[in-house]
Amino acid sequence: MYLFICEDSPDGILTGVYDAWSYKIANHIKTHDEIGLLSAEPYSRRLFCEYIPVTVSSEKAAKVRHTICKNLGAEFYEEILNATLASDSCGKNQMDKADAIYKTIVIALSSPDGAKVLNYLNEPCIHRVFTLSRAAFNESHHLTGFVRFTELENGVLFSVIHPKNNALPHLAEHFTDRFPMENFIIYDENRKIAAIHSAGKNFMLADASDLNQSLLRQYSEKEEAFQKLWLAFFENIAIKARINSKLQAQNVPKRFWKDMTELKDRL
Amino acid sequence: MRIQQNMTLMEKLSILSTAAKYDVACTSSGVDRSGNKKGIGNSVAPGCCHSFSADGRCISLLKILFTNECIFNCAYCQNNCHSDVPRTAFTPDEVCTLTMEFYRRNYIEGLFLSSGIMISPNYTMELIYETLSRLRNVHQFNGYIHVKAIPGADPLLVEKTGYLADRMSVNLELPTSDSLKKLAPCKSRSTILKPMRQIQNGITVNKNELTVYKKAPRFVPAGQSTQMIIGATPEHDYQIMSVAESLYQKFQLKRVFYSAFVNVTGNTNLPMLPGGPPLLREHRLYQADWLLRYYHFKVDELLSEERPDFNVFLDPKCDWALRHLENFPVEIRTADYYTLLRVPGIGAKSAQRIVKARKNGTLDFSDLKKIGVVLKRALYFITCSGRMMYPTKLNEDYICRQLMSDRNMVPKDIREEGYRQLSLFDTTAEFPALQQAGSR
Repeated sequence: MYLFICEDSPDGILTGVYDAWSYKIANHIKTHDEIGLLSAEPYSRRLFCEYIPVTVSSEKAAKVRHTICKNLGAEFYEEILNATLASDSCGKNQMDKADAIYKTIVIALSSPDGAKVLNYLNEPCIHRVFTLSRAAFNESHHLTGFVRFTELENGVLFSVIHPKNNALPHLAEHFTDRFPMENFIIYDENRKIAAIHSAGKNFMLADASDLNQSLLRQYSEKEEAFQKLWLAFFENIAIKARINSKLQAQNVPKRFWKDMTELKDRL
Repeated sequence: MRIQQNMTLMEKLSILSTAAKYDVACTSSGVDRSGNKKGIGNSVAPGCCHSFSADGRCISLLKILFTNECIFNCAYCQNNCHSDVPRTAFTPDEVCTLTMEFYRRNYIEGLFLSSGIMISPNYTMELIYETLSRLRNVHQFNGYIHVKAIPGADPLLVEKTGYLADRMSVNLELPTSDSLKKLAPCKSRSTILKPMRQIQNGITVNKNELTVYKKAPRFVPAGQSTQMIIGATPEHDYQIMSVAESLYQKFQLKRVFYSAFVNVTGNTNLPMLPGGPPLLREHRLYQADWLLRYYHFKVDELLSEERPDFNVFLDPKCDWALRHLENFPVEIRTADYYTLLRVPGIGAKSAQRIVKARKNGTLDFSDLKKIGVVLKRALYFITCSGRMMYPTKLNEDYICRQLMSDRNMVPKDIREEGYRQLSLFDTTAEFPALQQAGSR
């Protein structure tokens, strides 16, 4: 068994797919079953397994991306990409994320059904990719609504999120389309990365471990007034005769509350 | 007029959002429109919820009235001309400021603008048009707008407004014209249905224009909706659902909303509801509404003159399945999509997934579970390769009892009441516990 340990990022996993596949060809390994991928260093290494570290390479990842898009279509790639962004802890099936993605790509490229293999949910690896991709997609869809911006002194809109999965690429794309003429920053505090957008341009994802926190507390003068107006609206729109906090917490899970203007004080 | 203009924006927003809260339609669905690179805003067809208020309802749009001044005297409405509430009105600019600033902070997906009727229907409609026109043309707002067509307003104004809005709605308010006459004497079936028909025709004409010229301005692209108040008048579920069905078929509505009646005026013509609004009934109506729109059911299959109300214990689909056990069990390997849709525990998504996944080989019960089928409900009605999940009786009472032990099916107090006098065909009236359950 040959196990490839890759970085937990879209490019990392796609590089892993490239390395694993070329290793199989170069070493005349008979089946893909003898190859596995890991998206993190394992807690304990197994005997009779060769562990091969993968160095991230954007060229190799681009080649895999190109092959997937060309042979299996953009929708298939979208599904794979969403799965790479998901947190490995999603779902009950504990198959490693990178391994499930690798096996799914192998099945799709070797099957006459191509991209349609994604429908074959009775296949464990495909079901895993489906679960991961759905979890990532659902969370980022939730966040397109739950993200809250505050206006800073310099007019920049700033937002902090703490998602389980890496929702930033999807969110950045959504808000770039929505606010083309705004300057905004969305900061993922769990991963210490930020999406930065300046008016009229495309966004960039950047490492934000050295973000200047004090700058982010300086709100514009109108900010507080609009937060208060929003709170008042939020308060008044609820029908007293129907109060149902269980339903509320079911619809907007509490882990999102601390980043939401109207809910953070109710935790 | 009793309007107080010298209020702060905060006071106005408090009054006019309180006044709007009983309107239920807060969805932002039905239209896909990407950003236009210069203005602000886009829209996605499935809609997007931005928050959930303390009652658990979605907040998607900034739902406000333009004014709560009203010349009408609808008995159920807290803004009717006789009620003693502070009256105020926004200016178009104030609505624009609130919408733009809330939208920038991602509080909302767009605007839901309704209004009391100030001076005359035309005067009010004109103000609404003015507001929308400023939002779209001055502020370059490209997000979602849902607006009410005021019954009795000039068709020309309704049409002009329709080109600026994504969704329009005219509230049907009550299911029958008799009830309307009694509770809302200023409105009539014809003043409500006229603009509804006009919008429907407008949408049809616009669709034809769009096929010829792709860039033609779009008229109410997200379609129209309406709402009915449930429990203020004595109509049965059968009447309500029949009205909804004909609205979907004859007026091509996108959605019909049901609003459990809350007695806010204390008017003597209205029922007192000591147990709170009829929430469970509202829930059953929504479930049935889904069956009409996505599951190809007809109202006559679900209800009849003899059984005019939904079963409180079971959802309408389970209820239907239990009365049609001759159609079951269904074989997962061979049943077509429409047959699968009718199985309790299988939804539209899982039915689609089953149809696709079974091409790759047989599915067993654990696969179905992974696909998303709710087995604890479905297991009585399906077979996989000729076998049931475990031996079970295909008997109405037995399955009914089993289903009702599911905690998600009905509120606890009703369930316990139900064990004592278990009968599938009982109607709601006999169960006092239902009233209490309403308050949940």
